[in-house]
Amino acid sequence: MTKVRELIKIDPELCTGCERCKDVCPVNAIFGKKGEPHRVESSRCVFCGQCVQTCSGYSSVLDEPETPRADKLRERGMFESTTEPLFAAYCAGDALEVAAALKTDKFSMVQCAPSVRVAIGEDFGMPAGSLTPGKMAAALRRIGFSRVYDTNFAADLTIMEEGHELLARISTDATLPMFTSCCPAWVRFMEQHYSDLLPHLSSCKSPQQMSGALFKTYGADIDGKAREEIYSVAVMPCTCKKYESARPEMSMDGYRDVDAVITTRELAYLIREAGIDFTSLPDEDFDRPLGTYTGAGNIFGVTGGVMEAALRTAYELVSGEPVPDTDLLFVRGGEGTRTAFITIEDKTFKVAVVAGLKYVAPLLEKVRAGEADVDFVEVMCCPSGCISGGGQPKVLLPTERDEVYMCRRKSIYSHDKDSKIRKSHENPDVQKAYADFLGEPLGHTSHKLLHTTYTKRDI
Amino acid sequence: MSSSLSNFIAADSEKCIGCKLCEIACSQAHSESTAFTVGALTSPILPRLYVVQTPEITVPVQCRHCEDAPCANCCPVSAISRKNGAIIVEKKLCVGCKTCMLACPFGAIELLPVYENGKPIMQPVLCEENESSVDEAPMLFAGKCDLCTDRAKGPACVEICPEKALSLIDPARMKRDRNIKAAMSFLNTSQNFS
Ligand code: SF4
Ligand code: SF4
Ligand code: SF4
Ligand code: SF4
Repeated sequence: MTKVRELIKIDPELCTGCERCKDVCPVNAIFGKKGEPHRVESSRCVFCGQCVQTCSGYSSVLDEPETPRADKLRERGMFESTTEPLFAAYCAGDALEVAAALKTDKFSMVQCAPSVRVAIGEDFGMPAGSLTPGKMAAALRRIGFSRVYDTNFAADLTIMEEGHELLARISTDATLPMFTSCCPAWVRFMEQHYSDLLPHLSSCKSPQQMSGALFKTYGADIDGKAREEIYSVAVMPCTCKKYESARPEMSMDGYRDVDAVITTRELAYLIREAGIDFTSLPDEDFDRPLGTYTGAGNIFGVTGGVMEAALRTAYELVSGEPVPDTDLLFVRGGEGTRTAFITIEDKTFKVAVVAGLKYVAPLLEKVRAGEADVDFVEVMCCPSGCISGGGQPKVLLPTERDEVYMCRRKSIYSHDKDSKIRKSHENPDVQKAYADFLGEPLGHTSHKLLHTTYTKRDI
Repeated sequence: MSSSLSNFIAADSEKCIGCKLCEIACSQAHSESTAFTVGALTSPILPRLYVVQTPEITVPVQCRHCEDAPCANCCPVSAISRKNGAIIVEKKLCVGCKTCMLACPFGAIELLPVYENGKPIMQPVLCEENESSVDEAPMLFAGKCDLCTDRAKGPACVEICPEKALSLIDPARMKRDRNIKAAMSFLNTSQNFS
């Protein structure tokens, strides 16, 4: 295995050794003596970026560090025009690379994760949790993307694949419980620490990777382009998505599903660099078909969302009837672990939702011992799910963080509530993709493009 | 107007871990903008207390709100005065002469740029090379701790510190409390005499 990219770093000139990052790291990947600069051990790190969100050691204008700011910006992959203060813990970014690629004659396709649209407005002075899918689509078009698609489409697709996978596992007595595989930090943690349990992970790629795989096949066909002409970009709330996109399993015939990942914060840098006034942009639609989504796809951004979306569809697949209430409040909640039952026809399914990687070990130990009485588990590394991801706008004061995350969560749910279609299997363009291109869930093409394998990793 | 001593904020160096959150909270408390994320900031972080880190000690330093404040006494334009029990700089009057900065024995004053609507306010200054022409330079003012007297929840640094290393000290009350404690311990010890 080649050396993993050092995605999450600590600037020794700015780190005060306060150790607050150590407290939030779920895998003890941060080392250093109190009062002295700390460092991140990349082989242990799951790249969640929670340390980046927490760090308050900043570079003061009253006390310039030895290395000039311009050098630091370059090292971090930030534009020279960016004026925001620099903090000790950071994620090495890709905004410069994306800006350069957009100037070439590649046909660029972009996708945005659900939690980007409920947070990016904050970096332009809008209130916490402002919902701005339309402005975001408009901004991406003005930055120069040829097609503005959406990860939410692939979230709906993930539900189709994952839902069928779960039902297949149940009916054939295959490995259970099944764990979701959308969160790359969680997948990396499993590969590092519980590789014996890897068969429990769903074989589905994450929505980011499913989108990417479709961009370079189905999407390319629609625009009459060859696979090598496509430049595929993802805008994510998550720093670990950069790592996921670079995994060798996430490519086909030598072409990566996703060529570059930028975080919500980096998209804000790109928008500023292009001189776009985000707040006054008109609302524009995502392009079709790969930008069409339902409310279920959108709630992937919060903890419990994947589970809720899956149950809305699974209920109908099993019983042939729509779920009695679309809002499945029992899987919603905050940081920690929660379990619930759902009865479909005469069968009772037991589900669990884990938010925060540090809470997952007890459940995994039970699975190892064969004592876990549960069928389906959603795990997200970050405390409130993707809305609290390491690449989201960084809230300056920890006392305001919970409130801001709550606003983002509310906004995700209201976007779902206001959607005309709220179940993944009812997404007309997902249905069309199956009819025209993919065939059926778990079919041959799906298997090739939308599913993957996992490997044991040493730390 | 009370005749009691003015309050000040004291830091416990045993507790302080040097995270600088107090500086960030201070800057936020004194900013007119409502930005709450890093990306939305339209001015640099401009604190009025300073976390000092040396091999021996880590602790923030800020104004003691001296009773006979040297900064106020020496200010040539009378921009510094005592208001609501705190020593306050009137930003608009300050000419940036730095006299108070030199006079403060704690280094509690820093000349900070004036920001309005996300832009530094510029002022004409004489050009160094050519005495007849003028140049532009950022306007500065003497920034210092004002005990957050305008803030409903009190000093922002005290509220944010994750280690509870900061506290607002009311010296007169602290003296009385210590006197009472001393008296009580005297009572206890004197009971042992009989
Ligand atoms: S990286 Fe930031 S949070 Fe971690 S020890 Fe350094 S200053 Fe503190
Ligand atoms: S990115 Fe996450 S796993 Fe890596 S050091 Fe930071 S908190 Fe720990
Ligand atoms: S917030 Fe508290 S612990 Fe952090 S630097 Fe300030 S006084 Fe020290
Ligand atoms: S700024 Fe300095 S001189 Fe002025 S009141 Fe505070 S400690 Fe005293």
